[in-house]
Amino acid sequence: MPSSHRPITVDRRGFLGLVGAAGLSYAATSCAGPGSTSGGGGAAPTGGSATDTISFAHWRAEDQQVFDKIIAGFVDGNADAGVKQDISPSQDYQSSAIQRLRGGEVGDAFTAFRGAQFEDMVSAGLFAELTDQDFTSGYSERFTPVGQKDGTQYGLPYQVVFLQPIYNVDLFEKAGVSELPKDWDGFLALCEQLRSADVTPIAWPGGDAGNAAQLFNSMTMNNAPSDDFGTKIEAGEYKCTDDWFLKTLGQYAELAPYMQKNASGSAPEPLQQLFNEQKAGMLATGSYHIAATRALGAEFAMDILAPITTTADEARYEGVHNATFILGVNSSSDKQETAVAWLEHLSDPEVAGEYANGTAQHVTVDGVEYTNADLKRIEPWLSKNTALAPRYQFLDLDVEAAVEAACVAVVGGQSPEQAAEEAQKIVDEQIG
Amino acid sequence: MTKLTGPGRPHPALYLFPLPAVVLYVVFFVIPTVQAVQYATTDWDGFTPDYESVGADNLVKLATGGDSLFTNALTNNLTFLLVVVVLQTLLSLGLALMLLRNSKVSVFVRSVYFLPAILSSVSVAFIWRFIYDPNVGPINQALGAVGLESLQSGFLGDPDQAIYWVAMTQVWAHAGQLMVIFIAGLQQIPEDLYEAARLDGAGRWQQFRHVTWPLVAPTTAIVVAYTTIQSFKAFDLILGLGGNPPRGSLDILSTRIYTTFTNSEFGYAAAQSLLFMAIILAVTVLQRRALALTQRGA
Repeated sequence: MPSSHRPITVDRRGFLGLVGAAGLSYAATSCAGPGSTSGGGGAAPTGGSATDTISFAHWRAEDQQVFDKIIAGFVDGNADAGVKQDISPSQDYQSSAIQRLRGGEVGDAFTAFRGAQFEDMVSAGLFAELTDQDFTSGYSERFTPVGQKDGTQYGLPYQVVFLQPIYNVDLFEKAGVSELPKDWDGFLALCEQLRSADVTPIAWPGGDAGNAAQLFNSMTMNNAPSDDFGTKIEAGEYKCTDDWFLKTLGQYAELAPYMQKNASGSAPEPLQQLFNEQKAGMLATGSYHIAATRALGAEFAMDILAPITTTADEARYEGVHNATFILGVNSSSDKQETAVAWLEHLSDPEVAGEYANGTAQHVTVDGVEYTNADLKRIEPWLSKNTALAPRYQFLDLDVEAAVEAACVAVVGGQSPEQAAEEAQKIVDEQIG
Repeated sequence: MTKLTGPGRPHPALYLFPLPAVVLYVVFFVIPTVQAVQYATTDWDGFTPDYESVGADNLVKLATGGDSLFTNALTNNLTFLLVVVVLQTLLSLGLALMLLRNSKVSVFVRSVYFLPAILSSVSVAFIWRFIYDPNVGPINQALGAVGLESLQSGFLGDPDQAIYWVAMTQVWAHAGQLMVIFIAGLQQIPEDLYEAARLDGAGRWQQFRHVTWPLVAPTTAIVVAYTTIQSFKAFDLILGLGGNPPRGSLDILSTRIYTTFTNSEFGYAAAQSLLFMAIILAVTVLQRRALALTQRGA
């Protein structure tokens, strides 16, 4: 019998070997090299029509109902179109949005955090360019650069928040505060005045890294030798052991006695309650906590202020803002025309106003009328000389965490010098 | 050649039966592991097409202590592991011994102790985040109410104590679950052995030492191994209590790897993951040997 016609016999070892070889071959072929799939990039289409149902990926579950109303308005004007919200918790969105959005199955329109996520998404080619879209001119020129990279408009920041302490206006008046401080001595005097009125001057959630670090923005905005100090720390040009940073840490130590007890272990939720019960004069987080405090039932007037850490004439900024929730069109999407139409809809001042007043947040779109009382009170800050929140300059999360943790450590009792050295050690390791 | 067919040989088709399990194993374990090895030798950021091969640099840096954040997370994790394994095993064994009888009261109390196990880690974290709050939390409030302010703690805000408080939460959440496993193991021990021991004049401690402890060995091994792996993966509890990313005093290996992935360092995070697997394997093997030695000597 010719060998080609012999029956094939397989022994046990051969069979198992065959299965193993098949598995390994499959594993090897599945392991296409890292980075073997890349995003597209390119310009988003102009002048198309909205005929698809798109996915809108974002992280703000608290805005879902407001967006539902806005989507209803969009569908009224585009009968064949639809928008489905794809909402992830903010932490998940921060860590895994790029991977989820790259395929284009979700997030035909999407959002990005300012800072590392925006930069990474641009590098991944996730954003379709918006430079040629007419509706971008409806956005304030002050904020649109946040969505640019190398002169190209990739995204449009939608929200403006002020990342500086909020305060109880009524309580300040009762404590006899007639004028807000314009320098560091004045800020300490204000804290003393509040303490004399038997209230905790500053409620600071040192136990929650994200909220705790908002104070870092206003504590550094005038102390740092340049506005891009975060970038320079990551580049090794500035160090945590530099005088300006040691001064900042020393000022944190000066504030510690005016914070609630064990401030470095406090979570934000109990402090919101403390602030709501009018037992704390300031909540050192950001304007986003005004709406949260209102939701707890607060009826007193609230405003924002920032500690000026220098003398009045040395101060470069009055406060800190951040422009975020950067809207974009997914370059991998095959429904880009509808996604562009959705962004155009959001850019309408009336729609942007509906979003702003419904979510109690300012927006970057020009010509919006704020009807929410808290937004109206804070509206003048939109034109004040505020710094773009510096903490989002950090692109390395470990560097950012190390620098900001030094402030928490100092409030917890560590010396500024030691905290600075420990932070710099980590920074050095991370930047190589 | 050994033939698959023939008298006394299983039918060749039988070898197809494990195929579904093999396929699942390959897809969900072999492939990711092979990929992790491949990624670990690169500096890939997770999304761009470009990457450099770095050989064993990532692993060498981690293994030689060149990354103090990883070393800190490892130290925290081993501390957490030690506290949880010892306390949780002792507590669950103690509870099991006390609630071994199938009386109505025992069954009720068992279910009360088991209750935390059915809560999600996130819920547990939120409950304890409130309990540990230094200002409004019930522990500091109670201490303050009886004039013991000096004993009040910063809990999670105290870098020297934080990981121990998280370990306490972990023990609270899982001791009841492991108690049930111990009860199942203890109920397998024949009563005759205790009767014989009592006839030989053995007291309660001697009965425990010479009958219970050696015979509950297989259950203890399961409990210790499970607790060990659980301690290495207390990811959601840490994030719930300490925020994301957690501060250095609360960072453990799983949260460190997650932060590294989030930081767009996929290659380096893959290297951390491989080391993580190796550490769990080594600790589990060491524990099993230590337990075997202890129980052989009993």
